Amino acid sequence: MESLWILIPLSVAAVFAIGWIFWRSLHGGQFDDLERPGTDVLSDDQ
Amino acid sequence: MNPGSEPQRAAAACYHCGLPVTEPGRWRARILGAQRDLCCAGCEAVASTIVAGGFEQYYETREATARTPIPEALAPSALYDDPAAQKQFAAAGDGFLEATLILDRIRCAACLWLNERTLREIPGVLRADINYATQRAQVAWDPRRTKLSAIIEAIRAIGYDAWPFDPQRQTALDRDTRRAALWRLFVAGFGAMQVMMYAFPAYVDEGAGDLSGGDASLMRWASLVLTVPVVLFSCGPFFSGAWRELARLRPGMDTPIAIGIAAGFLASTWATVTGQGEVYFDSIAMLVFLLLGARYLELAARQRAATALDRLARWQPSAALRLADAADAGSAESVPAHALVAGDPVLVPAGERVPADGVVERGASSVDESLLTGEPVPLAKEPGGELVAGTLNLEQPLVMRVVRAGAQTRAAAIARLVERGSAAKPRLVEAADRIAHGLTWVVLAVAALAGLNSGNPWIAIAVLVATCPCALALAAPVALANTAARLLGRGVALTRSSALETLAKATDVVLDKTGTLTAGRFAIARLQLLGRAGEGRCRALAAALEASSRHPLARAFRDESPSPAARVPVEELVNFPGHGMEATAGGRRVRIGTEAFCRELAGAPPPNTLRDAALTPVFLADDGGWLAVFQLEDTPRPEAGEVVAALRDSGLRVHLLSGDHPAAVGSLAGRLGIADWTGGASPQDKYAYVEALQRAGRTVVMVGDGLNDAPVLARADASIAMGSGADAAQAQADCVLLAQDGEARLAAAADCFGLARRAMRIVKQNFGWALAYNAVALPLAAMGWIGPLEAAIGMAASSFIVVLNAMRAA
Amino acid sequence: MNNNEATYNYTVVRQFAVMTVVWGVVGMLVGVIIAAQLLWPELNFDIPWLSYGRLRPLHTNAVIFAFGGCALFATSYYVVQRTCHARLFSDGLAAFTFWGWQAVIVLAAITLPLGITSGKEYAELEWPIDILIALVWVSYAVVFFGTIFKRKIPHIYVANWFYGAFILTVAILHLVNSAAVPATFWKSYSAYSGAQDAMVQWWYGHNAVGFFLTAGFLGIMYYFIPKQAGRPIYSYRLSVVHFWALIFTYMWAGPHHLHYTALPEWTQSLGMVFSLILLAPSWGGMINGIMTLSGAWHKLRDDPILKFLIVSLSFYGMSTFEGPMMSIKTVNALSHYTDWTIGHVHSGALGWVGLVSMGAIYFLIPKLFGRTEMWSVRLINVHFWVATVGIVLYIAAMWIAGVMQGLMWRAVGADGTLTYTFVESVKASYPFYAIRLLGGVLYFGGMVIMAWNVFQTIAEGRKVEAPIPAPATSVAAHA
Repeated sequence: MESLWILIPLSVAAVFAIGWIFWRSLHGGQFDDLERPGTDVLSDDQ
Repeated sequence: MNPGSEPQRAAAACYHCGLPVTEPGRWRARILGAQRDLCCAGCEAVASTIVAGGFEQYYETREATARTPIPEALAPSALYDDPAAQKQFAAAGDGFLEATLILDRIRCAACLWLNERTLREIPGVLRADINYATQRAQVAWDPRRTKLSAIIEAIRAIGYDAWPFDPQRQTALDRDTRRAALWRLFVAGFGAMQVMMYAFPAYVDEGAGDLSGGDASLMRWASLVLTVPVVLFSCGPFFSGAWRELARLRPGMDTPIAIGIAAGFLASTWATVTGQGEVYFDSIAMLVFLLLGARYLELAARQRAATALDRLARWQPSAALRLADAADAGSAESVPAHALVAGDPVLVPAGERVPADGVVERGASSVDESLLTGEPVPLAKEPGGELVAGTLNLEQPLVMRVVRAGAQTRAAAIARLVERGSAAKPRLVEAADRIAHGLTWVVLAVAALAGLNSGNPWIAIAVLVATCPCALALAAPVALANTAARLLGRGVALTRSSALETLAKATDVVLDKTGTLTAGRFAIARLQLLGRAGEGRCRALAAALEASSRHPLARAFRDESPSPAARVPVEELVNFPGHGMEATAGGRRVRIGTEAFCRELAGAPPPNTLRDAALTPVFLADDGGWLAVFQLEDTPRPEAGEVVAALRDSGLRVHLLSGDHPAAVGSLAGRLGIADWTGGASPQDKYAYVEALQRAGRTVVMVGDGLNDAPVLARADASIAMGSGADAAQAQADCVLLAQDGEARLAAAADCFGLARRAMRIVKQNFGWALAYNAVALPLAAMGWIGPLEAAIGMAASSFIVVLNAMRAA
Repeated sequence: MNNNEATYNYTVVRQFAVMTVVWGVVGMLVGVIIAAQLLWPELNFDIPWLSYGRLRPLHTNAVIFAFGGCALFATSYYVVQRTCHARLFSDGLAAFTFWGWQAVIVLAAITLPLGITSGKEYAELEWPIDILIALVWVSYAVVFFGTIFKRKIPHIYVANWFYGAFILTVAILHLVNSAAVPATFWKSYSAYSGAQDAMVQWWYGHNAVGFFLTAGFLGIMYYFIPKQAGRPIYSYRLSVVHFWALIFTYMWAGPHHLHYTALPEWTQSLGMVFSLILLAPSWGGMINGIMTLSGAWHKLRDDPILKFLIVSLSFYGMSTFEGPMMSIKTVNALSHYTDWTIGHVHSGALGWVGLVSMGAIYFLIPKLFGRTEMWSVRLINVHFWVATVGIVLYIAAMWIAGVMQGLMWRAVGADGTLTYTFVESVKASYPFYAIRLLGGVLYFGGMVIMAWNVFQTIAEGRKVEAPIPAPATSVAAHA
């Protein structure tokens, strides 16, 4: 299964990339208030 | 009572706050394209402000009607703008100030939206962001263009209220803790998912031989790479916990887990490098993920409870006006409230909160203590009167002498009592802690023996992982924290969590009457004419005089408001705080209020009047003599009947015990359907009554109020205090019913029992489950019948079950 | 930067929204034609370009990439602008994505009937077109993430996360799966061989379903259901968990498309397990969407657009339950290669993807053309019922036919010989093909009604540009 030798290292890299994205958003405050955005989207006309 | 005086028409609901509209057409506003009836001038003002601000959308999106506006909202004090006071709560930036405000009277998300839009419209406000989860506003403003008091004023104008938040509680720290925990959980979860995926082929392939050696090795190395961050980073709390435990030679739940993880990881790494033996990266990663998941839920529950506690923290005003010269009100300087010391003279402006406990030196006013006591009747304060920190001075400026300041005040004492609550654990929980501690030693010993005996380190690891007493350690705290938070949310501060056990076992509830079943909502029980004026004339006069008064006794007269034809015009209405009202009607000066106050006008002592301890007299006189005395009666709280019924339905025997006249007590007991009642009881009688019940084998919970209840509150097995001003009573009480919107919710007392029973049931279930699991897993693992994977799944699953079960308590 | 910074770029949204309707009519018409060909094979008139084998990829490409793709472009451009309070990153690149994507579709419509194909399902287009797709897609990613980058709202709304994942993943999938060695201008050979090629193809195929047809449309769901219902999503927290859980699991479920093939046993089992795990986040998302209406169910009765959106979610729930079930190897032994699979795909495509796109377009068209509502709300209702009846007829027919085929193919006599010949199973399926055609015609009819309604709305309306709300005053702006 040669394809594994590409797909598995690729997936390990992907895991770290996704982890990095999560870390960035977590510390950027994306997940600090998870009640407000649901409401905010309703009033995007103003 | 005059039957014709009560308007009986089916009242429409106020469009703003939902209360019945008693005078249709009097207050109206054009909202969402139609004229809407409103119940009062307050709602009219608020609704017009909202519409004028262009925020009509609020009415479309809200999910609940607004709270009725604070009557005659008092202007927020200039204290908020004082630079010295602001140092307490505001951070200064380059040309701006920034502070956190706690918002009050919030009903739904639309309220938060409205507040934020309003804040942003204020000229000079640079930034306003509301966190919907905590209901706090982060506001930055330019002090040259606006003031904090103006900002708070704007919030009050739309019917809400706000306080600067005293940032002693480290919100930023909370946030960082939560973020760090979430990040650990994410790393473990993502790692576990991927590692499982790599490990899976080996399980499926067992014996089939489809998986080549090279492929299998690739999978192992990939697993190793992804398990490294899980072990080195996500496991941090386990390792540091274990380190602390070992340093004190008191191994707890972290020690076996940490040893198990470390040993499992090292052995698997060795197997990967040498290409021989078993790897259990998947078990390790999953165990860590599930355990962290359980702990994250616990953290969230604890932080929720802490946020609820912040409601208590905001009682404290953060600044005070200290007088350099007690006789000169002009010598006031603003100082932080906690800088006050006993003996300081302090000026308390009208509309401001009292900054410390103390005694009135000069001035007369009335003070709203409802936040602290639930008592809606403002109390008249004259020189010598006691003032309690956190209460609201309503009418006139007062000069007070500080007796207790800062952490010694009663408000602070209550907050401390609540924090103390978690320290005293229920006996059952204490026992479980001891078992868990002992069990750890057993686990360590069994693991070592099993490992040595079999020569297989995986057996020792399986024992460590499978039987560490995590579930036992998690069984109670989450349930107790959640229950305490839930109770606080319903207006009950639990000061000792051990009381939950007693509340759950209670068989009898003893209720006090005054202040407990009644709440100072007065009605005219009797009218005695003393002079020449007729009954109709007296009622009309009283209603006219009290029409604009905020005194709660005044409501009794307004509730009787006469037909428009019978209205009496009055002029020159003057309020004498603590005494009564004076006005001119038909060319005569008329007074309503205390006997002494009216006597100044009438000239002579009143003729013989009825005296009834259960009733409160209000006198009416003019410059020609006495007119009438109204006897007002404290009516039961509207929810009293339901609460008594709910208590009875939950299997409790309800008793009414009061020092009031037996006739009054008996009639109330009859109305509420309480069979066991005693009137005219002295504190000693009450004490003996409860003692007798206990001797008969009953578990008694006392619900009371006031100093004279303190001994009996202490005597009862558990006690609930009505947020009474008497701190002796509160110090003895296990639960304090706090005020919400100025009304202590008696209904919350009934909630206590149900929630306590539920919490103890859950704790017992959890203990049962955790003990049974360990009893089964320990021998199996020691015999080598369950491997590390099964051990990890079993251990983590049992922790999770316990935490999820405990979440039900909230 | 652009001098139009005060308004949103509605032009490209309008273009894509209108083309969604146009390609919907075209793609479904081709579907109706090939369904009819199964009933009456003569309908290909012996013209090779009209043969079933050439029209089927045209149908799938037209509905997935033309209809579905345009819906995703239109809604994602609309949502990302409105939730970020920012105009699209680049008007020029956005225009390129529109014209480039239309060119891809037109080229597909020409090459596929001509028999020019790379032979990979859902990736049939030949390498020159693949390169154009790659260019358009990279531009799309630049415009989308560029807009997010210049957003004025600190929080990135959850719909954008779904759109973002869809855009990124599709880019990777396309690049990896379309890797090929060109032989001539219109012919190439896959860079992978044998079982490897099959594995890569279905890794692509599955994730195309996962990220193109699921993540992207969940983005639509998370914006348009709350907007149309006028209520916040039931639990925003759950929607964020939904996103990350989906990311965790979807990537690995691909191999179930290759049960009982030359793929190693363990890869197939792996695919099965992860397909089953997928059920949890999928249903979490569905419940989250539907419960948004809790306490306001009456809106469902009065509002046909909401009907489209909510009913699409119930089809989403149905197909995400059906899918994992079909990935169980014993079930798959019966269902694989039968019309049951066609039924499953169409309950997802017609029910979920189709209805949610139509609901979103009905929401968008009046807003983009300065109207308060569609020309005829009654017609939306008619469309809804016609389409729903069509879907039910279609998938019921395919279920019955599929199970019947599976049972007939595996039936063996006492002596070990097959009980039925293949052609007997075809004959038995015939009446169900007729029902399927009826269902397809109804669904297509609904689409034509929609096109008429949209045409009338546009005729009465005018193009509008919506102003971007003034940003909340910030410290930086004043200090």
